[in-house]
Amino acid sequence: MPFRAINSKIVEARVTPGQRLFSRRGAMIAYTGEVLFTPDLHGGQGGLGSMIGRRLAGEAAPLMTVEGNGTVLFGHGGHHVEVIEPAGDTLHVEADRLLAFDGTLRQETVFLGSQGGVMGVVRGQATGQGLFTTTLTGHGSVAVLAHGGVIRLPITPDGPVHVDPQAYVAHHGNVTNRLSAALGWRDVVGRGSGEAFRLELSGEGAVFVQASEEKL
Amino acid sequence: MARFRLQGSKVLAVDLAGDTVRAKNGSMVAYEGRMDFKKLTGGGEGLRGMVTRRLTGEQMELMAVTGQGTCYFADRASDIALVTLGGEKLHVESESLLCADDSLRTGTTFTGLRGAAQGNGLFTTTVEGTGTAALTSDGPAVVLRVTPRYPLRVDPGAYVAHTGNLRQEFQTGVNFRTVMGEGSGEAFQIHFEGDGLVYVQPSERNTIGGDL
Repeated sequence: MPFRAINSKIVEARVTPGQRLFSRRGAMIAYTGEVLFTPDLHGGQGGLGSMIGRRLAGEAAPLMTVEGNGTVLFGHGGHHVEVIEPAGDTLHVEADRLLAFDGTLRQETVFLGSQGGVMGVVRGQATGQGLFTTTLTGHGSVAVLAHGGVIRLPITPDGPVHVDPQAYVAHHGNVTNRLSAALGWRDVVGRGSGEAFRLELSGEGAVFVQASEEKL
Repeated sequence: MARFRLQGSKVLAVDLAGDTVRAKNGSMVAYEGRMDFKKLTGGGEGLRGMVTRRLTGEQMELMAVTGQGTCYFADRASDIALVTLGGEKLHVESESLLCADDSLRTGTTFTGLRGAAQGNGLFTTTVEGTGTAALTSDGPAVVLRVTPRYPLRVDPGAYVAHTGNLRQEFQTGVNFRTVMGEGSGEAFQIHFEGDGLVYVQPSERNTIGGDL
């Protein structure tokens, strides 16, 4: 069931009996029909083990389950909302950027340190993004929060894309990411260009970038 | 020459084929291809320029971006307007200058009292030559034409930039009422006369004069 953008900051989701969706707790703006909102103690899908993992990982944005029969409007903090359809692919996104997503999508938490070894850990630390990220796989809609508008940049095998870690929102596809540091002595003495850390995404897929270097 | 285009209203895409642009420090959000980022000392005018800037509080933190490919710039989700210059001079608040062609010369000019009331110091940035510059504004900027018959008054907090042959005068409406706390909130205005264009944003920055 696709989400419908009402404007750049609000999305509308339809809930039908037997289907559920997850949303960031407190992100409901309005609803019609018979809709039930329950705090999701399991932290989305993946059961208790996954929840504990997420808590430890600091990747624990409180979620709620949305069920019933009706229409719900979601929005949060006046932030821009981008609707992404993974279409069978895996979407990587940080938990605190998730506004709402289809219950049919498989949710997992991925340890970034396993990707790129020590550099993965450094990436998490350096960018303040934490060491874990959430993945959503399957068919359905995901509403993602961003500061300012979002642009989608395709990643092709012959053209990696470099992204400011603070402006990175999400990515999907068969993509490997690597933190490249352009740290020279200039940066150490405080004369850097302000672009010392870059996230290099290579492979095949797309990356979503927000029009701002500010985290949410 | 570098090609400037807007990707949506808040992201600037610049296509580079070995050439250079100057951009606000840290404003790169993504790039494709090969890019090199280098911080410019004092806006690229050497030691003297840097010293003037330090003194005047008009510190442009710029970097030079050279490369092959496309570089994307954005700044705090601000709206972006492109200005094409054909030899004329653009006056802009340094914080509103996002990116400029390397062929454009940047400098500072004295603005007098206006700058002080805006809390921006006494100087503004000037951009001169032939090429494109990208300005940021809080909300989409509107361009207002000033002709000898139609002078323009602008709220200092909403002023972004101007081009052309314009005289500007800072006017205050501070009087007994304002002092007694009955101000209209529009105590300060910039008066533009002559021939040119003024860029105004649909939002008011906090200014010293704004509280009066």
